[in-house]
Amino acid sequence: MSELLTRRHGLEFLLAELGGSRMADPGASVTIRGDLGHINLRGRASDAGFLPPVEKLLGQALPIEPNTVSGERHQVFWLGPDEWLIVTPAAGALELAERLRQATSGTHASVNDISGGQIALMLQGAECRELLAKGCALDLHPSVFAAGDCAQSGLARANVLLALMDATPTFMIVVRRSFSDYLCRWLAHAGSDVGIAFRDA
Amino acid sequence: MLLIECPWCGERAETEFSYGGEAGITRPADPGALSDAEWADYLFNRSNTRGAHRELWNHAQGCRRWFGVERDTVTYRISGSFRLSGASDNREA
Amino acid sequence: MQPQRLPTGGRIDRSKPLIFRFDGRKFEGYAGDTLASALLANGVSIVGRSFKLRRPRGIVGGGAEEPNAIMQIGKGAHAQPNLRATQVELYDGLVARATKGWPGARFDLGAINDAFGKVFSAGFYYKTFMRPKSWWHLYERVIRASAGFGRAPVEKDPDHYEHRNAHCDVLVAGGGPAGLAAALAAGQAGARVMLADEQNEFGGSLLGAKRNVGDAPAEEWLRRTIESLAALDNVTLLPRSTVFGYYDHNFLAIAERCTDHLPEADRAGVRQRLWRVRAKQVVLAQGAFERPLAFCNNDRPGVMLASAVSQYIRRYAVRPGRRAVVFTNNDSAYETALDLAEAGSSVVIVDSRAGGAGPLGERAAQAGISVIAGHVVTDVVGRRRVRGVQVAGWSGNPAYLVESSIRIDCDLVAMSGGWSPAVHLHSHAGGRNVWDAERHCFVPGETTQANVSAGSCNGTLSLRGCLREGNESGRAAASRCGFEAPDIELPSTSEGHENPLQPLWRVPADAEPERCPKQFLDYQNDTSVADIRLAVREGYRNVEHVKRYTALGFGTDQGKLGNINGMAVLAECLGKSIPEVGTTTFRPAYTPVTFGVGAGENVGDLYDPVRKTAIHEWHVAAGAPMENVGQWHRPWYFPRDNEDLHTAVARECQAARQSLGIMDASTLGKIDARGPDVVDFLERIYTHNVGTMKVGRCAYGIMLGEDGMVMDDGVMARVGEQRFYLTTTTGGAANVLAWLESWLQTEWPELEVFLTSLTDQFSTIAVVGPNSRRVLEKLGCSIDLDKDSFPFMTVRDAELGGYPVQLFRVSFSGELAFEINIDSSYALQMWKTVMAAGEEFGITPYGTETMHVLRAEKGFVIVGQDTDGSVTPVDLGMNWLLSKDKDFLGKRSLARPDCVRDDRKQLVGLLSPDNGTVLPEGTQLVETPDAPVPVPMCGHVTSSYMSACLGHPIALALVAGGRARKAETIYAALPGREPMPVTVTAPVFYDPKGERQHV
Repeated sequence: MSELLTRRHGLEFLLAELGGSRMADPGASVTIRGDLGHINLRGRASDAGFLPPVEKLLGQALPIEPNTVSGERHQVFWLGPDEWLIVTPAAGALELAERLRQATSGTHASVNDISGGQIALMLQGAECRELLAKGCALDLHPSVFAAGDCAQSGLARANVLLALMDATPTFMIVVRRSFSDYLCRWLAHAGSDVGIAFRDA
Repeated sequence: MLLIECPWCGERAETEFSYGGEAGITRPADPGALSDAEWADYLFNRSNTRGAHRELWNHAQGCRRWFGVERDTVTYRISGSFRLSGASDNREA
Repeated sequence: MQPQRLPTGGRIDRSKPLIFRFDGRKFEGYAGDTLASALLANGVSIVGRSFKLRRPRGIVGGGAEEPNAIMQIGKGAHAQPNLRATQVELYDGLVARATKGWPGARFDLGAINDAFGKVFSAGFYYKTFMRPKSWWHLYERVIRASAGFGRAPVEKDPDHYEHRNAHCDVLVAGGGPAGLAAALAAGQAGARVMLADEQNEFGGSLLGAKRNVGDAPAEEWLRRTIESLAALDNVTLLPRSTVFGYYDHNFLAIAERCTDHLPEADRAGVRQRLWRVRAKQVVLAQGAFERPLAFCNNDRPGVMLASAVSQYIRRYAVRPGRRAVVFTNNDSAYETALDLAEAGSSVVIVDSRAGGAGPLGERAAQAGISVIAGHVVTDVVGRRRVRGVQVAGWSGNPAYLVESSIRIDCDLVAMSGGWSPAVHLHSHAGGRNVWDAERHCFVPGETTQANVSAGSCNGTLSLRGCLREGNESGRAAASRCGFEAPDIELPSTSEGHENPLQPLWRVPADAEPERCPKQFLDYQNDTSVADIRLAVREGYRNVEHVKRYTALGFGTDQGKLGNINGMAVLAECLGKSIPEVGTTTFRPAYTPVTFGVGAGENVGDLYDPVRKTAIHEWHVAAGAPMENVGQWHRPWYFPRDNEDLHTAVARECQAARQSLGIMDASTLGKIDARGPDVVDFLERIYTHNVGTMKVGRCAYGIMLGEDGMVMDDGVMARVGEQRFYLTTTTGGAANVLAWLESWLQTEWPELEVFLTSLTDQFSTIAVVGPNSRRVLEKLGCSIDLDKDSFPFMTVRDAELGGYPVQLFRVSFSGELAFEINIDSSYALQMWKTVMAAGEEFGITPYGTETMHVLRAEKGFVIVGQDTDGSVTPVDLGMNWLLSKDKDFLGKRSLARPDCVRDDRKQLVGLLSPDNGTVLPEGTQLVETPDAPVPVPMCGHVTSSYMSACLGHPIALALVAGGRARKAETIYAALPGREPMPVTVTAPVFYDPKGERQHV
């Protein structure tokens, strides 16, 4: 692919609009990770033609336990009993998708690069659990939703994949591209009482 | 608001799910061989149970799996969820 | 300044005087007051007018049960109607207005209604305003103006409301002694606890009573308990928070009032918060309501609940009267008598029981209070304020008539008819209530959810019992969540035994209820004993019907105050027992909640998600007005130089037909379908033959519901032997994917197919018009675009202008056209690149309106506009799409007798002879212009536009048996106009042979 092509995550206009929100000590901060690629992977874990070659290629195990993340070379999220999301640097995503396709060519599997279709937001800060609780019905108490856990649910009125990446806490919110503008506006509004800052990765 | 147990994701709020009606309605193998009345029965008639009702739910906002729930239509108490036969189950892999 | 304020005591802060206004008059109160206590301190006795009879009314209660002091609080956009003054914390500058009474509560022009009290009996509205029927709209206007409480502000609500989801092990509803004990036990066990109470302070009944806990005043126990709770990280304390609804599976809703108690200038941040709580266990500790007694004129200002009188004295240091008569059928009101005596009022106790009270009676005697046992208050003297009562002896004989009575002068009647446990939340949860024949009240029975009632809402009225039940229920709830509470020793309390209550549902009088002054059961709705009796005489038997006929328990009351007395009177009339009659159903909300807190943050721009395409900002910059399509915002048209819609669309249509147009079609649903069985699967879904499609071919496909009706449509392409790319309508994307998954997972799990949504991954740019090929060639395309290499209805992977794309040769306009599918990350650049290259061809961006005109000229339908879920493919003339070689979903239904009728509504075109009128979409079609009403309809217009290319309006319509009626004239029924004749045509108006798209 041409080097001239630069990816746009679609929130550039919104960032410019919210640009003034660089505050000293926000209760929450959002980092827009347009630099990450997303690959949707479908296959049966019980299929000898699927799991071993995929795990060999990725160099890590796929999370088989529902709603968990396997985070080593790539961040791999459980989405369903036969569905995973691989989050990896955008630059290598297309190539990784192609290699996954080849590795699983002998069996019933599906690999789709969806880097342009969704966006990862990293939410950090002391107040982010309270902020998420305004729009998400999941129980995010540390004793229930721990680092390495993920869940697909609703945040405000958008569907999201929510994951706790570390206990600082850092949450990853993955949202479909067309909903990302709405979701960021909601976060900006809901976070206005604790202070919220947005930045590009 | 109901609390529904997805067989994969555990208990989640009703808002994450969509309802699929009565479970166990099987599509006739050869619809063309059916009389109008038989086809209408498959299409329109449901048991409308009072009490324990087996029904389909889809974890629409979550893992997108369809599964069964046994729910009391009077008290709304849910006695359990079950996977449909043939459903993917990578934990049994 | 505050004539009824006591010099010492209470939980008010005399160093913080607050100024407020009521009905325009200025008053002073103190920090810690409620609006009600401050009004009483100022000697205001009339705070409102009754609903129907407009009788002057005073404050009766001390909390949520208050029926009369219903206020409009605040001004302008911040105003809230329907608040109980007893629950409104006083703040500096508060402005209150009685919601009943015009021009004010003190002097009300509506009071004349009382003089016609006999007319305004139960069922008054139903009887009076029925005839003549045609006058109802006149009656309604007057009734509406005089009904209801308060006025909703007309301005946009400027305040910030929010929702908060929460989870806990144990939710405790109510922070009185039982609730506090429960929260403490569960909290100390380590459970995640939430404790919500509607008041500003925790403590419940302890705040308004003189009690000891252990060897210290109750305040000391309260202080220590609240400190202990606040120190626990696992306990969330929510004061000013009403648990107003208990829904399925232990889901509860709490309305928290965050800033309503502050002066308006000091309010910042969230005004009210809705807590949506999922609790593993719930402890209900809502307390109990004291019952009024139903004697004549028991609604006169100055007749109050005994416990409320105590509360005003103890908590607010307000003495509601100087000469009091305490009228009771139980022991608890003796404490009120003692409180009154201590406050310096003279007191007489009238006790219906011949034997009087237990140890409290002795204490009353020691305090010099005279007790008239075996007597009842039969009537009240005074109109705008109690001036005295009539007291008569009563033997307890069920005969409800008394002989002679004496008058006692007084300015206050403190009444107690016993206690009704607040079983509301228990009932919301689906629990039953059972009659306790010993305590003469409904208590919570079997529950269907994980909750337990503790304390006085469970019928346990003693402080000792409340503390014990609270502790036990808190421990048990925590234990069920896996947390074991340490043993604690419960503090002792100083209560003696009580003599039993004497049931007294209506008080004897010197005449039958119909012939004596009204004995009110429900103050707010003016429901009296006579009204219940009338309802029964008129044939009502069921308690729910009687409630609706008499309005008993309507409004903000919701069965808090008069419910039990009403049920009992009904039972008496029917000759049944109270449990046989039963109670009405309690439903959320427990007290009224604002629309604001219900809406939360889902208002304004955040009302519903706005979905935007990757090219959205370009459209905005180009000045395109947006149209909502589902949640998407799509450009409607692109006006140049202040063009209106009509002019812009005419220009856009001509450009697309004559040279080059460009449209953002990214909102189409897109699904990747692959797997060994994908052909087999799609054969069952689509009506056409899928298996015969060669790789690289596209097809227009429709899918039907099993009922045979068209569900969705779109182009689908075979992009590999075992791989298809499906497109759906914009609005149908999510539903179609869910529908396909449902068949795969529930019906055909043996089919190996994976479906993945690519709707957001790919943006779609439609390049339309005779010059579309040229502009793509100019950009540099890696494949040949000529009609033999890349024919109509095919798809190719390509590189276009340096971008990897999937190129479709499809057309939704009937012109030569291409659709560029591109990774959304590059879509905006691609769009700009095509725009730049197309400049020499006059490239014209167009929006949804032009798209509609172009497709309607071709007779292409929009599912959901030209169909409505009752239209088959045969109705649309799409028989050619229905495979005879296979089964597909819905096929069998097409042979149902109803689906093969000749007179089904079928898709046709309509032309109007005047060539000028664009028929409104939805216009009804009729056979003849002068048929008598009701005129039978023969169809309706589904799509209608002015066609710039044809120079006249066009319309698509569904017309009964329409295909056989070409060239016939039918009539369009236009509001306010003569029916207009229209001619039925084929639904394709432009290029009927379809030559233009094949070039």
